Amino acid sequence: MAVKRQSVVLGVLLAPVTLFLGVFFLLPLCIIALFSLLTPGLYGGVEWSFYHWNYGRIFGWADGINEIFEPIYLQILWRSLSFAALTVVLTLILCYPVAFWVSRLNDRWRLVFLFLITLPFFCSLIVRLYAWLLILKPTGLLNTILLWTGLISEPLEILYTPAAVVLGMVYVMIPFMFLPLYAAVDNLDRAQVEASMDLGANRIQTFLKVILPQTLPGILGGAVIVFIPSVGNFVVPDVLGGAKGLMIGNLVEQQFLSSRNWPFGSALSMIIMGVVLTVLMVSVTRARKVSGHA
Amino acid sequence: MKAIGLASAIAVMAGVAQAEGTLALYNWGDYINPEVLTKFTEETGIAVTLDTYSSNEEMLAKIQAGATGYDIVFPSVHMNDIMIKLGLLEKTGINTAPDFKNIDPAFIRAKEDPNSEYCLPYAWGTVGIFYNEDITGPITGWADFFAIPEKSGAKITLLDDMREVLAIGHIMNGTSVNSIDPAEVQAAADYVLYHKAAVNAFTYEVPPMLASGDIAAGHFFVGGNVFFTDTPNIKYIIPSEGGTMYQENICVLASAPNKENAKKFLEFYLKPEIAALNVAQQFNGTPNIPANDLTPDFIKSNPNINVGADTMARLQIFEDIGAALKLYDRAWNTIRTAQ
Repeated sequence: MAVKRQSVVLGVLLAPVTLFLGVFFLLPLCIIALFSLLTPGLYGGVEWSFYHWNYGRIFGWADGINEIFEPIYLQILWRSLSFAALTVVLTLILCYPVAFWVSRLNDRWRLVFLFLITLPFFCSLIVRLYAWLLILKPTGLLNTILLWTGLISEPLEILYTPAAVVLGMVYVMIPFMFLPLYAAVDNLDRAQVEASMDLGANRIQTFLKVILPQTLPGILGGAVIVFIPSVGNFVVPDVLGGAKGLMIGNLVEQQFLSSRNWPFGSALSMIIMGVVLTVLMVSVTRARKVSGHA
Repeated sequence: MKAIGLASAIAVMAGVAQAEGTLALYNWGDYINPEVLTKFTEETGIAVTLDTYSSNEEMLAKIQAGATGYDIVFPSVHMNDIMIKLGLLEKTGINTAPDFKNIDPAFIRAKEDPNSEYCLPYAWGTVGIFYNEDITGPITGWADFFAIPEKSGAKITLLDDMREVLAIGHIMNGTSVNSIDPAEVQAAADYVLYHKAAVNAFTYEVPPMLASGDIAAGHFFVGGNVFFTDTPNIKYIIPSEGGTMYQENICVLASAPNKENAKKFLEFYLKPEIAALNVAQQFNGTPNIPANDLTPDFIKSNPNINVGADTMARLQIFEDIGAALKLYDRAWNTIRTAQ
């Protein structure tokens, strides 16, 4: 009886979130999956007939009449994945040492620092990116300071370059990397670190055998949370990249708006989702293996 | 500007009793003088709300997806045609209004609405080049424009707009900006690709970047002149090789909840002094013939804003190209991916 009542309670408690995810996540996902296999309507929308050329256009089985295969879409996907991976690596390098430093602060300063990390969320992303535009442009803050100090004699060309896109992505994603990393570092069993040093392991051995395995779930968690939105981001390449290097997110946006090709946009979205799911599954299995090992 | 527009619309609403009902406009950002809305409310007692969009397609997608509550939209002519084909617009009979005689028949352009039974021609303008003459020296058109970076080391930008950018290629090749010939679209793309290295960015940030000296010239709408009335070194030209023009019409949605109020707005906008009031703040052209005599002198006397017949002949307007849009999509993807 007790077990039965428990499961009823659990069911009641889980119902709202299940309903919410079903309506606002699963249903739209099914619509996108369905649209990706339909014929594009002339003025947006879809026509209800089966059409596999959306994928053919991307992967190579186009017939040349309905669609033309162009390797450009795979190139754009590859570039987006590379930028996202680079963003993960750079945010990790920046955040990992800081997480250790913050975990050693006293309670009050730690709270202050965690508050500072989440402070950017109080302001719209677009506004923050326009602030970066003002900083990076040739007559902007950065160049003015560098020119004034005499470190450079010509303004640096940063705005509207791939470097500006990477900088913007790293800036946007730092909190997402920091918070899971910090959680892992804060839970680190320091007694094990001390034991490792006492028993004769040097600093590198201690890091590789004790600290790294214990913080790996945080690293993987941060990596996944940073990687996923980075792949589909289209605002940063537009505002800081000058819309010159097309990313997969821009391409999807364009298909739903100016190009009025919803099924092709849906097919591209499904591919992004496939890639992201693969990455997610690989990292979850790795994390399980590692924690099982430890 | 968008925020100012919204704020004034809210102010208008707050100041007026709701008795006469409401009217919901869905317009491009910064594309109507807020004073026009204030005057409308003063005269009719109808409270106006204003929401904005940044492209025809964004507006179409929202309306197609079932957005309700809007009465009036401001589509470009080719989108006006599409929306009639899709059954999204309402017949207003605005062509039978007494003041309709003010409208120059040359601006009744929508093919699906040859007698203006649906929509009222609203405003039109050109897309050309803004440049800082101190840096670039005098320039006359696209060839000079693309030569700026090599000549002076300064930067230039193009609009982040598929059809506007490819139109430059078409104009330079002597083909129609509405061409649906794959070879012509390819050639237009090749022209742009050839000059891509000279282009610093595809962006709408032209007025601030030009004012701060970050770029020397940019592809932009005539409306940008509003920012440069006190800067004689920054000039606007319609390129000698040719340029594009745009025109938007005021249309009532078939799903409009306040159709009567919407018709009142169309009739209100036929008044020359109202159209002129809009031009004075917007710097674009009006199809309202008597309104042209009422606009401020600095607009009337500028041949790049108040365009003569010879310049008009160099301008092309976008039409709906149906399925051929895919050709442009491919060309645009290639341009934006090329290194």
